[in-house]
Amino acid sequence: MTERDGVPSGLTPRADAWTRAILGPFHPVARSSSASRVPVPRDTALRASGGGTHDGTTPGARWTRDGAPSNGPDRSTRDATLDELRHVIRRIESRHVPRAAPEPIERVLGGALLDTGAGTLLVTRREYPLAHRHGAVALADAFAASEPVLRVVARAGEEPGEPRGLLFIDTETTGLAGGTGTYAFLVGVGAIEDDRFVVTQYFMRDLDEEPALLEALGPRLDAASGLVTFNGSGFDLPLLETRFILGRRRWPAMIPHVDLLRPARRVWLGHLADCRLATVEREALGLAREDDVPGAMIPALYFQFLRTRQARPLTRVFAHNRDDVLSLVALLGWFARALERDGATLSAAELAGLGRLLEPVDVERGLACYRAALERGLDGGAGLWTCLRLAAWEKRRERWDAACALWETAVRHATFDPRPWEELAKFHEHRTRNFATARELVVTALHRARTADAVPRVIDDFAYRLARLERRLAVSPAPLAGRGNGM
Amino acid sequence: MLGEIIDDLLISKPTGPCITATRVFPAREAVTTPFPPSLDARLAGALRRRGVEALYSHQARTWELVHAGKNVVVVTPTASGKTLCYNLPALQALLCQPDARILYVFPTKALAQDQLAELEELGKLLPERPAAGPERPAAGPERPAAGPERPAAGREGREGRAAAPAASPGPALRMFTYDGDTPQDARRAVRARANLVLTNPDMLHSGILPHHTKWASLFQSLTYVVIDELHAYRGVFGSHVANLMRRLARICRHYGSTPQFIMASATIANPGQLAERLIGAPVEEVAESGAPRGEKTFLCYNPPVVNPELGIRAPYLGEAGRIALRFLREKVATIVFAQSRLSTEVLLTAIRGGLADKTGDASAIRGYRGGYLPNRRREVEQGLRSGDVLGVVSTNALELGVDIGSLDAAVLAGYPGTIASLWQQAGRAGRRSGPSVAVLVATSAPLDQFMVNHPDYLFGTPPEHARVNPDNPFILVNHLKCAAFELPLADAEPFGDLDVRRFLAALEDEGVLHHAGERFHWASETYPADHVSLRTVTTDNFLVIDTTARDARQTKRRQIVAEVDWSSAFATIYPKAIYMVESEPYEVQELHFREDEEKVAYVKRVVVDYFTDAVSAKGVWILRRLDSREDGRFQLEQGEVLVAEKVVGFKKIKMGTLENVGSGEVELPQQEMQTTSVWLTVSSDVLARVSRSRDELIDGLRGITYLLHHLSSFFLLCDVRDLGSWLGDTTPAATGAVATRESTRQRLLEAERFQPTIYLYDAHAGGIGLAERLFEVFPDLLVRALETLEQCACRSGCPSCVGPVNEVGRRAKLTARALLAQLTA
Repeated sequence: MTERDGVPSGLTPRADAWTRAILGPFHPVARSSSASRVPVPRDTALRASGGGTHDGTTPGARWTRDGAPSNGPDRSTRDATLDELRHVIRRIESRHVPRAAPEPIERVLGGALLDTGAGTLLVTRREYPLAHRHGAVALADAFAASEPVLRVVARAGEEPGEPRGLLFIDTETTGLAGGTGTYAFLVGVGAIEDDRFVVTQYFMRDLDEEPALLEALGPRLDAASGLVTFNGSGFDLPLLETRFILGRRRWPAMIPHVDLLRPARRVWLGHLADCRLATVEREALGLAREDDVPGAMIPALYFQFLRTRQARPLTRVFAHNRDDVLSLVALLGWFARALERDGATLSAAELAGLGRLLEPVDVERGLACYRAALERGLDGGAGLWTCLRLAAWEKRRERWDAACALWETAVRHATFDPRPWEELAKFHEHRTRNFATARELVVTALHRARTADAVPRVIDDFAYRLARLERRLAVSPAPLAGRGNGM
Repeated sequence: MLGEIIDDLLISKPTGPCITATRVFPAREAVTTPFPPSLDARLAGALRRRGVEALYSHQARTWELVHAGKNVVVVTPTASGKTLCYNLPALQALLCQPDARILYVFPTKALAQDQLAELEELGKLLPERPAAGPERPAAGPERPAAGPERPAAGREGREGRAAAPAASPGPALRMFTYDGDTPQDARRAVRARANLVLTNPDMLHSGILPHHTKWASLFQSLTYVVIDELHAYRGVFGSHVANLMRRLARICRHYGSTPQFIMASATIANPGQLAERLIGAPVEEVAESGAPRGEKTFLCYNPPVVNPELGIRAPYLGEAGRIALRFLREKVATIVFAQSRLSTEVLLTAIRGGLADKTGDASAIRGYRGGYLPNRRREVEQGLRSGDVLGVVSTNALELGVDIGSLDAAVLAGYPGTIASLWQQAGRAGRRSGPSVAVLVATSAPLDQFMVNHPDYLFGTPPEHARVNPDNPFILVNHLKCAAFELPLADAEPFGDLDVRRFLAALEDEGVLHHAGERFHWASETYPADHVSLRTVTTDNFLVIDTTARDARQTKRRQIVAEVDWSSAFATIYPKAIYMVESEPYEVQELHFREDEEKVAYVKRVVVDYFTDAVSAKGVWILRRLDSREDGRFQLEQGEVLVAEKVVGFKKIKMGTLENVGSGEVELPQQEMQTTSVWLTVSSDVLARVSRSRDELIDGLRGITYLLHHLSSFFLLCDVRDLGSWLGDTTPAATGAVATRESTRQRLLEAERFQPTIYLYDAHAGGIGLAERLFEVFPDLLVRALETLEQCACRSGCPSCVGPVNEVGRRAKLTARALLAQLTA
């Protein structure tokens, strides 16, 4: 599709026949169909060629179907004729390509057709023993998780219950655009059955099999005590909800939901390159997928299947989806392990991240994680952040020695941050009333701020504080003895 | 007071002789009807609290028709209480049917804001509102329901559950705007809570319909759709909106609702017909206004001739400014309409200067135009309503129904181009009682001169028709894609009343749709609404940034002072241009327009006594011939052309005296558009038979160009502005260079072979099929052109035939007639 090129009417090469039918044979669009040409943006009124004079191209070249206007009408006519020829040839060819009778899809993809009462669809089923390792994590780890662990990874207020009742869910869709025109053509769900983990995939062999898919999926959702997804609140679930409403079905909105993207962000953001599932599973779960199909290609593969009925290329899509479902389990297992056993195997950055995750639920455990991370030598931006975060809690609890020690560490940090300086200055000015020390701190801070080219507000604030301290020192030059740090 | 000023204008020495026509529209009594018994007592009470004891006849008539289940369009003058026509049924529905949902559509966000304020005012007067104060969207839950089988509508419900277990019905009026300005985090709450949503066509197109499942409760119980400013939906934009309504109708059908439409329009020739085309259903017209009107005087003012030898008149901007000052000095609330953004600033400067001289209070005069930042505009609107702002100088941005209250005087600096606009602008002055005045100050342009010298034409010509063509294949196909995205299209399902099977088959052939289970499904990764813009505006705006601004601490701070859209950027913010914002001049330092750059103009504050006006040149060249028709007398061809415009320089014009004090050249890229066109080359035999003077022939052909351009919009059901026209020659694009109108004439006069060619082209880049259609109907068009000329009562040209005589020349009509007679004989 050339949609993205800005041809909103979608009059791509194959438009010829019908454009002609509608508009008569001489509509220009019918003749300007070489893919190599730059389409004219229809949605643009008179526009400049965007600085053609600067980049060396002739103005207008961008907008001209035939390259520069200087090509003139003759060349254009010839091109048009060539185009039409090419086009006719393509059509004849495509008509005569001998189409191999498609292999039955259930054989290619390894599943069975299921008649749901609302139509038929393809269902595949794979079983895994709980000892199955997905990357470095065994599936069993996820199901060993306690309910408190689930509450830590879930959003506040969600009660996903007991892990054995969870349904792990991932969808493959016809696009990322959202809205009512995006279908979830393949839905993979995983759940415990007896002592095995079973991944079931529901697949629409054509777009009119959606009722069957929803019919099959509905009871699975209803039976679950909670859903586990990765970015499900942002993508999979709203999309499924749209499909259910569009199909005039009840959407089981009340099911608790654990979106693993949220805890993953808390733990890995700023430390991994990004928090996509692929990145997290590679870095944290130690999983290397083989021959994985890039997610961006999936819609095209499905559309190709709809046109050609050749199911073979879809095997990779099915495998991708199964791997995604297993990664959800493994990721939950990772969290369970990290949260339930001590984090001996965790890196300093992961410990700090775990602290971020725990802090809103269980402050003390969160702070303990922060301390452990710092002890393990966490530095860089995350180190500074953790230091300040911990110091803020110590301050709130009036544990001044601990807080000061953390601020002292923070001011030694390579990058300048005004906050610990300010905190220390405040501490000495208002708590110990040691104006001289406070003044010294502020003078140094001001110097560092200027060197670091800090924003004017920061410099102004320090300057203001310095002026006040100078005034106070003028009134009572000697520091007051006996009001040490201990108060 | 006002009467004295009018008398003075008419009698006193400098102005009196310049007034070429006076019309007094007498005051009219109100025609009222008691509140209909079906009107809810609470609503009647609220109206009484506002001092309204009865309905105007048009309001009562609308009420009746709405209650009889009809679709209605109300066409009454400005300030006749049009909004109450739709607000009453809407509020009644919300009060009496807890499930009712209502959709308001306005062409702009600002109008939606206005109307929300108006509705809330009325809402405050209603008794028994459980919650005091304005409702916040974030508050309590609302039990969602979707689809005829009523499945629960999802996550909103869940969140609501956490907040309060039982769904409370909430207050009766839950009214919210939903548009590009609605913050992302508030959108969900608006969708869940609102029972009256105010939006615009663009948002309906790209934000609401493609996500209709999230709006299930709205579409299930949609009672009324209110469309105000209906006249704005004409031409290509209107054709888009008509298709949007077809999509809306499909979605409503899916959810089982059949909303009624209540519409309002400014005066146009065919409101009922336009409404029916737009919504695809029968519509009743309510055109008889029952609102009272004070006496209104309309004056036509032609600036005095200052150089009798050359026939040069005093600059119209100066004259308009002086007339406005006469009103403003006497504290008469005045609106001045300028015809461009530049002249808005020039006039504002002049008027502020004039006021500062005498009474001192120049801050009570504000400017208003597109490009100002929204909060500045809101401030001006607010000030006008409250009376803090006494006068405003505006572009036609204030022509739409933005609520600015009523003013006493309107000064139109230049004829606004259409009769409909003329009455819209003049209508901004006029209270329900007491006199008002509108003054049209003519420019020296031929059209203006014609208008002020032919007042019978001015006052007697009906306003223009608004035309739409929803079946234009280019527009239609785009909306079919959107429709399929929203809901698969069944095999034999009509779109509106149109059989679209062949389009669907073609789209399937394209691979955009996929046929399965007797329905066409959207089968692409893309979001089609993103690729269809309802208006030919681009989102690429230039930010105008003041590099000399300083904040409170005197630190340099780059401050955005305005926004300029692509299409006008090159004519307004070229380097060295003086760009004015509320009459404060800035000089443009740099303009960044390259593809890979952020589109920005850096400006600095300057003190200058001049402004700049861009000089532009144009050209149309043939890129490719696709079809031709030879006739011996003329050759008609159809194909692709390149239309190019370029700002080549600017003039420096002194403020006040408006004399030319210098000029400059600019190096800017040529703005080009490739589009489709028809062109007509008259054979040299025919030309020779009509006249031997090239000059005369050019005049005649320019007349024919004008005539064909205007007639084409009848044939194509489009707006005049959807087409462009040009008299040039058949130079191929490679050798063409843009030229001003005058140098084009020169070239034609001096050309070795005299081959003048009339171009009529599609004004939308790439073309939307108008030229192809013109090619088919061209012989008819020529015949109709001759008929029009013969039937026109004017002697030597008027805006209804070949154009105003001063523009096309004295003999143009005669020559044009002779040429057409030859071509159609």
